[in-house]
Amino acid sequence: MQVKNLAVQARLRSQWESIDLGTALARKYWLPLFLVWLLPAALLMGALAMLFPGAPGWSMFAVWWLKPVFDRLPLFMISRALFGSPISASAALKQFFTQNRHDWLLWITLRRLSPTRSFDLPVTVLEQSSGKARSTRISMLHRKHSSAATWLTLTGVHLEGFFLVAAFILIYLFIPEQIAANIDWQPIFRGETLGLEWISNVLYLFIMAAVAPFYIVSGFCLYIGRRIELEGWDIEIQFRDLVQRHQREHRPRQRGITGNSAALLLVFTLSFGFLASAPDIKADALETPQQAQQHIDEILAGEDFHRVEEISGWRLKERESREQKIPEWLIEFIEWLLNRSPDDDNASTSSWGPTIARIIEILLWIGVIAGVIYLGWRHHDTILKNLRWQRKPKPKAAVPETLFGLDVRQSSLPDDVCAEVLRLWQTGEQRAGLGLLYRATLSHLIEDFQFHFGDHLTEAECAQLVHRRQSEPAEDLPSVTAPLSQFVQQLTSDWQQLAYAHRSPVDARMRALCQEWQEVFRNDS
Amino acid sequence: MLDTTYNVETPEGIDLRARAAGPVPRILAFAVDLFYRTLILAGLGIALAFADTAGIGIWLVCSFLLEWFYPVFFEVLRGGQTPGKKAFGLIVVNDNLTPISWGTSIVRNLLRFADFLPFAYATGVIAMTIGRHFQRLGDLAAGTLVVYREEDKAPIALPDSSPVPPPRNLKQQDQRALVSLLERHNDLSEARQQELANLLEPITHKRDGAALGYLRSVGSWLLGGRG
Repeated sequence: MQVKNLAVQARLRSQWESIDLGTALARKYWLPLFLVWLLPAALLMGALAMLFPGAPGWSMFAVWWLKPVFDRLPLFMISRALFGSPISASAALKQFFTQNRHDWLLWITLRRLSPTRSFDLPVTVLEQSSGKARSTRISMLHRKHSSAATWLTLTGVHLEGFFLVAAFILIYLFIPEQIAANIDWQPIFRGETLGLEWISNVLYLFIMAAVAPFYIVSGFCLYIGRRIELEGWDIEIQFRDLVQRHQREHRPRQRGITGNSAALLLVFTLSFGFLASAPDIKADALETPQQAQQHIDEILAGEDFHRVEEISGWRLKERESREQKIPEWLIEFIEWLLNRSPDDDNASTSSWGPTIARIIEILLWIGVIAGVIYLGWRHHDTILKNLRWQRKPKPKAAVPETLFGLDVRQSSLPDDVCAEVLRLWQTGEQRAGLGLLYRATLSHLIEDFQFHFGDHLTEAECAQLVHRRQSEPAEDLPSVTAPLSQFVQQLTSDWQQLAYAHRSPVDARMRALCQEWQEVFRNDS
Repeated sequence: MLDTTYNVETPEGIDLRARAAGPVPRILAFAVDLFYRTLILAGLGIALAFADTAGIGIWLVCSFLLEWFYPVFFEVLRGGQTPGKKAFGLIVVNDNLTPISWGTSIVRNLLRFADFLPFAYATGVIAMTIGRHFQRLGDLAAGTLVVYREEDKAPIALPDSSPVPPPRNLKQQDQRALVSLLERHNDLSEARQQELANLLEPITHKRDGAALGYLRSVGSWLLGGRG
């Protein structure tokens, strides 16, 4: 047995976690363990069926009683698998008698009903101890995990029973209703149907064989968990790993010392480059590797590498402290309600009973009304919108001063926009020219036509707003003519082309735009 | 390496580790809860005995509520632990290890019906046993998990040893093993501890008592002690 070959994670586990590990391990090797348990037991059952066909109950009892005999092979197999040398089911089956030679009589007599069977069995099967040695060993192991082992056995017993009933119910569910209605249950419950009892035996045998791996391996893992705890296997494995790594690191270093020293030198030069400002570096102290090593150790042991910070402050720890006890008056009230017998003298009840009812009714109504009001207030926006009740228009939103980074205040515009635009255009500042025209258009739209362009709108969306006002004029806002709308669309697309794609319109188009601008804003300028 | 841990990595790259709880402790925790529920129902039945038919009605309503909402109530309002789970140190969490909410708790408990079939939670037990993280059908549907709650460790009395800085190249697991050796000085026999310390002879260049003393000193340094 080599601890370092352990196939499961070695760590300290609680007793329940050990059982869980056993469940996971048994799941992994379930099929071979199941077969190894089932085959000998099935052979025995078959033999008993041949010899005593009239005693199914006693045959079952015999197989059940001999469970410790069948438990040994799965245990042997899983122990081999756990320490990294798994054996096949057939190889294990050949060992049936070898494994059962040791201490078998006690296991099927005195210890058969021991509640910690699966926990104790490894001591017999794997450690091969008996007598006094065994009992001291068991008492040592039992100091901690015996309660879980007992509960494990109890759970296993119940699971087997429940599974048998569940299997029968499952079969019954599959019987068609017409047939099920005609079944004569009397002889079945009286145990007079031999065939059915043998079927039940076979079912139970399979269930035992299916549950057994989990039971055995869980007990075995409890045993392993206890030994990890008692013997520090987790520490041993980690230490062996550490030593192995240490040796791997040191062997090549000694062999290739010349090759490494160049690299080491480079590292040192580099680190001096960075640490030159540090005052306590003694360059001349690093002559031999030993000294360097010592120096490194000193530095690593120093404060810089072991900085400890303590952070303290108040934090909310557990919310449970805020748990409120049930108030006394509530308990008394409920007790009073429960203890009140129904035929109390009606005189006292009738006098103030209706009053209380009346008060509760009023309170409930107040609650309902308050709830409705609250809901209405909470969702008033949605409700109003759904009912299409337009609220009064908000006070006029502040006129924006800049849009898309352009100054759109009318005061920022030159007196004769078109002349300025054409002048800029001819001096080659096309961007500034078209920009000014676009700016002036926005400015007029905002101030004369009371458009509200929010910061979130894009140029195209502004143009859409103008178009929408033209197609569906609003009552209280100045209407937009078709030429204006069309002009805004064109100007916007030209501006987008210039601003984002750097494609400037031709001269003639620019002139036409200026012309149109003067036409559409003629009234205002 | 086979183990029953359940690992989650958060988007921030932090590894969270929990220990999934298997069928046996969960069955026992359920049995404890069943016991409490039966006690409550029995007490209620006695208290309502005077009220004839109405009493039976109230009792049936109460038993319905207890059957379906007893776990939901405790799982959501009492930190994922019914009394039975509390007794075994178990806690129900979402499969990203966050506390469970009303929705998930109700789903996992309503699906106990599926787990119950055909009798006595046979399906649930089989699903738990087969499932990678011991989840029954309700857990799979709701995306929940039953794990062991981390218990606060009681402070351990340590042997006297003056802290010594550790050798270099110790991984976190190595450091943990050294600390573990120090902390278990009462559980492991002295001979075994020296045997373990001798394993590290190539590194410590010490043997037996001296090696153990040195490793204990390193351990107490790792625990924060400073000379």
